[in-house]
Amino acid sequence: MYKSTSLFVIFLSLFVVSEAVFEDQVGKFDWRQQYVGKTLFAHFDSHSQTSKKLFLATDKNIFASFNSRTGDLFWRHVDKAGPEGAIDILLLHGQDALMVVGDGRLLRSWDTNMGGLNWEAVLDTGSFQAACFVAIQDTVKHLAVLKNAAISLHYLTNGHQKWVENLPDRDTVQYQAVYSGGEEEIYVLGVVPNSHLTIIAYSLEDGEIIKQHYSISVTAVLMCVSGIRAVCVCSLDLEVSPGFQPVLVSSQPHPARSPISEFFLQLGPHHHVLLQLNGDGYTIAPLRDFQPAFLVSFATTGEKTVAAVMTPKNETACAINLFSADSGRRLLDTTVIFPLDLNGGKPHKLYVHAFLKKDDSVGYRVLVQTQDHALTFIQQPGTHTDTGTYTQTLERTHRHWNVHTDTGTYTQTLERTHRHWNVHTDTGTYTQTLERTHRHWNVHTDTGTSTFTLSASLLDIMGKSKKISQDLRKKFVVLHKSGSSLGLFGIDSKSGSILWKHYLENVQPNAVFKLIVQRTTAHFPHPPQCTLLIKDKDTGLASLHVFNPIFGRKSHIALPVLPRPILQSLLLPVIDQDYAKVLLLVDDQYKVTAFPSTKNVLQQLQEMASSIFFYLVRSDQGNLSGFRLRKDLSTERIWEVVLPTDVQKIVAVNGKRPNEHVHSQGRVMGDRSVLYKYLNPNLLAVVTESTDTHPERAFVGMFLVDGVTGRIIHEAVQRKARGPVHFVHSENWVVVSSSCCSLATVVVVVVVVEATHHIYLYRNSKYFFLKVGLPSGAILSLPKMFLDPRRPEVVTEHSREENLIPYAPEMPIRTEWFINYNQTVLRVKGIYTAPSGLESTCLVVAYGLDIYQTRVYPSKQFDVLKDDYDYVLISSVLFALFFATMISKRLAQVKLLNRAWR
Amino acid sequence: MWLQVRLSEVCLFLQAMFTLACCFSDMESGPIATSGSVQPNGDRFKIEGRAIVPGVKTQDWISSARVTVEGEEYIGFLRTDGSFVVNDVPSGSYVVEVISPGYKFEAVRVDITSKGKMRARLVNFIKTSEVIRQPYPLQLRSSGPHTYFMKRETWGWTDFLMNPMVMMMVLPLLIIVLLPKVVNTNDPEMRKEMEQSMNMLNPNPELPDVSEFMTKLFSGSKSSSSKAVGGSKYQNITCTQGPPRSFFIRLYNSFLSRGFPSSEIQVCK
Repeated sequence: MYKSTSLFVIFLSLFVVSEAVFEDQVGKFDWRQQYVGKTLFAHFDSHSQTSKKLFLATDKNIFASFNSRTGDLFWRHVDKAGPEGAIDILLLHGQDALMVVGDGRLLRSWDTNMGGLNWEAVLDTGSFQAACFVAIQDTVKHLAVLKNAAISLHYLTNGHQKWVENLPDRDTVQYQAVYSGGEEEIYVLGVVPNSHLTIIAYSLEDGEIIKQHYSISVTAVLMCVSGIRAVCVCSLDLEVSPGFQPVLVSSQPHPARSPISEFFLQLGPHHHVLLQLNGDGYTIAPLRDFQPAFLVSFATTGEKTVAAVMTPKNETACAINLFSADSGRRLLDTTVIFPLDLNGGKPHKLYVHAFLKKDDSVGYRVLVQTQDHALTFIQQPGTHTDTGTYTQTLERTHRHWNVHTDTGTYTQTLERTHRHWNVHTDTGTYTQTLERTHRHWNVHTDTGTSTFTLSASLLDIMGKSKKISQDLRKKFVVLHKSGSSLGLFGIDSKSGSILWKHYLENVQPNAVFKLIVQRTTAHFPHPPQCTLLIKDKDTGLASLHVFNPIFGRKSHIALPVLPRPILQSLLLPVIDQDYAKVLLLVDDQYKVTAFPSTKNVLQQLQEMASSIFFYLVRSDQGNLSGFRLRKDLSTERIWEVVLPTDVQKIVAVNGKRPNEHVHSQGRVMGDRSVLYKYLNPNLLAVVTESTDTHPERAFVGMFLVDGVTGRIIHEAVQRKARGPVHFVHSENWVVVSSSCCSLATVVVVVVVVEATHHIYLYRNSKYFFLKVGLPSGAILSLPKMFLDPRRPEVVTEHSREENLIPYAPEMPIRTEWFINYNQTVLRVKGIYTAPSGLESTCLVVAYGLDIYQTRVYPSKQFDVLKDDYDYVLISSVLFALFFATMISKRLAQVKLLNRAWR
Repeated sequence: MWLQVRLSEVCLFLQAMFTLACCFSDMESGPIATSGSVQPNGDRFKIEGRAIVPGVKTQDWISSARVTVEGEEYIGFLRTDGSFVVNDVPSGSYVVEVISPGYKFEAVRVDITSKGKMRARLVNFIKTSEVIRQPYPLQLRSSGPHTYFMKRETWGWTDFLMNPMVMMMVLPLLIIVLLPKVVNTNDPEMRKEMEQSMNMLNPNPELPDVSEFMTKLFSGSKSSSSKAVGGSKYQNITCTQGPPRSFFIRLYNSFLSRGFPSSEIQVCK
């Protein structure tokens, strides 16, 4: 029986309207941008002179290979998110890339040519400190890994451990560095804070301690360690900027040889000194003082080692120069200009790849990482005679996304058709902050053209934006947070290009955001207006940033003063005389602030006060309460629901969109009666998770609460289920997905229907094995038909008439339903849809690690010609008809004439 | 309650199967299942296997593929020869999948006992206790590339001919052509009968039929031009054909010579 129904389901599913892609549509309406995250380690492939590879390890646990000339991604490997997949170190040796993962959990070796793994080895427990290559007689054969309690040596060929030794006095000494200079010894450096340094030399063969050296030192003294000796830098006349931790930059070109005797010491934010350790090994002499200098880096090619120094040139540019490392002399014709984007953030790190030119002089390429996590690749002009001067920019910004999960009782923010699976983690503020990075290449001859192309695309959009509602082209605003600066980006949905960017400085590190569209492009003389609500998560204090979403410019509007923490914000359908929707902000004393707050608005608010309701959630107290606005703009509490926090906690609350359009009020049943939907616009779906995480006792609860009266319309519990919970609330149905019994994902569908007088509930929970936003990166477009709780177990006449698919416990997942075909979006965080100017078409933006944008046609393209429309056939048929008419006319004439003569 | 009973049954069954499986595995692949998988750090084990895409070189697909255990709980990467190891997995039952955007692989369930004995079986989400054994270390063969795309409808003669509209047009045509050949029209009785039936179909013989009108319409232009040349004979002949026809021709000629009535009105004004 089961077999036959499942066959039937598969058969039926072939005829279900699905949003499948045709092969010729690939790349026509959709684009994907792949990101990797904030770069932690970057290496140029120095294996061969002509190699274009660039290897990055990022904070998103991604190891990626890029084409350094174009910025295209060759491949990337995405490890598990979180500390378990974090990359501790990336070392490059020939074709192999060595990586320590998960705080010293695993050691991996990659074949960088193929993008495959050579081997993976499990390391002993212990927190990772440092690692270095170990060479004997000019060949690198081992890798030494230093952990807080032990040092181990591994073969590079297979990852097997040669020996492991426990470190002495590991309770008091903090071991920090490991070093090998090509001799038969491995040195480990440990620090006892405020006391002394320890240097231990291990034998390469068996891990025996050969020597142990202690150097007594006073506090706050700079020490340089060379081999077994420690040299005191304090003897030099160097002044460290107050409150600055000095940083030492040194270079070991080859693991088989000792490092070069020159090194940089950073004494202040913009102050570097090039120092040299004298041949006797005891004294240090300063070679050159660089002030101001933003960044310094060493690079080696052949026998030559150079130092690249980035110095500020003027307000908008930096200059990078090469200096000979052994003398500190500036090399001629090595200046490269790095244009500073005023919006982009300061340079943060410098990666230099040096190579020998034909005339034996040193050429170099440089990769600059800026504070907004963008990477810019600069090729020195004239290095290739045929290519001329060109600059290539690889921008990889790191972003925070703001997803509008609006919750006001009546109000809603952005136009969107429906939200698929949104993760709600933070119920206190209802916003989600998501991170991702952006990569963007510009290949152009010089920077002047860059600004030109940018303005050209802006003009283009200006033309479009006026009729944006009729167009398939939209714009979306993306928030990206890096450190204390918040980036706002305007992105064109058609091409994915960045139209504008704007950075807000001094944003609290734990701030949460909410983006509100107060005025759309529909009110022409008035510019569209977006408001960004920035709220400190701890204090609750909020600030507003009002801008024009088309150009990103800040609007000069008087902002309300918000001295008190903000609990809730809601956008009312009330508009002021300038067609801006009114934003209400509720503070912790339940006082209401309106923005904009003109007389007109306040008057409208007073009139409407009795019908404005809102709710507050305090997930820490398990408290959900409803409020009403009074005429004097104070509030009164009208209901309260308490869910005991010792049993379950509220994880998400979701209302409906106010602009939701319900197409049919009910559904005709097989017996000709009508099942009316329960369409209460104030219905809130509250999802809770049990505090007990034991798989047998865990549950996910769902409550449907009337937002005005506080009445609990329905409650449902899914046993043996646990988070993360994703849910969608629309019309009269709620779909909640959670993982169950560690087996698969369970989807519970609750549909609320209404009889003539009394409401009764029709609930049916089914075990679908459904994956949406699949871990494989696919975006499944699942027909709603499959989520009908009335799917019968036994097919009857009635159910067949209602077009119900027979129930099957397992959801069929067909790869044809993947709207993003092989353009996978890894670690999907959300899927956002918006209607377009065409009635049949919706725009979909899926984001996670990557951004993917496409168009979908939920009920096929009924208002436009299909894109495979056969113009040839239709025109040939028309012509054929035309000629047939002409010929038949002639024939008829002849016939008539003949008849007349008869 | 029922579920609990069912579950305990399942557990019992599983255990029974497990002991059985262990016996087998001990005999079959002893070294891998026992000594090979036990890790030095306590009760963490590794899942080993190999993925093959027939006819495709490994370097063409391994860089975009990865091995996931239980969603993204544990992740492994493919070696250059297509084999893989997922390290650091505690005992339990896991669904192991090779995920590649290009090629499809079947998922496999791997059970690891607390002692580190391994067993692989087919994934069945409905009957979780069902055991259809798979080889361990895993041998995952791709069943080919993913089919992401729908096929475009192509135009073919058979599709065209089997179209109901075309059928509706062609069949009556056949009847019209073939029926006169079947029925003997020379038989006077038959002709009389047909005439009668035609009269019944056309209750008002005075009204001109459409087909005739159309023929006149197209021949009209010819007639008008012939008139201009001086074809009075033709005109006369047509006139003798009866009042309704000449009426229509006259009407049509007036249209041609004068243009539309409305334009005439405008000129008058």
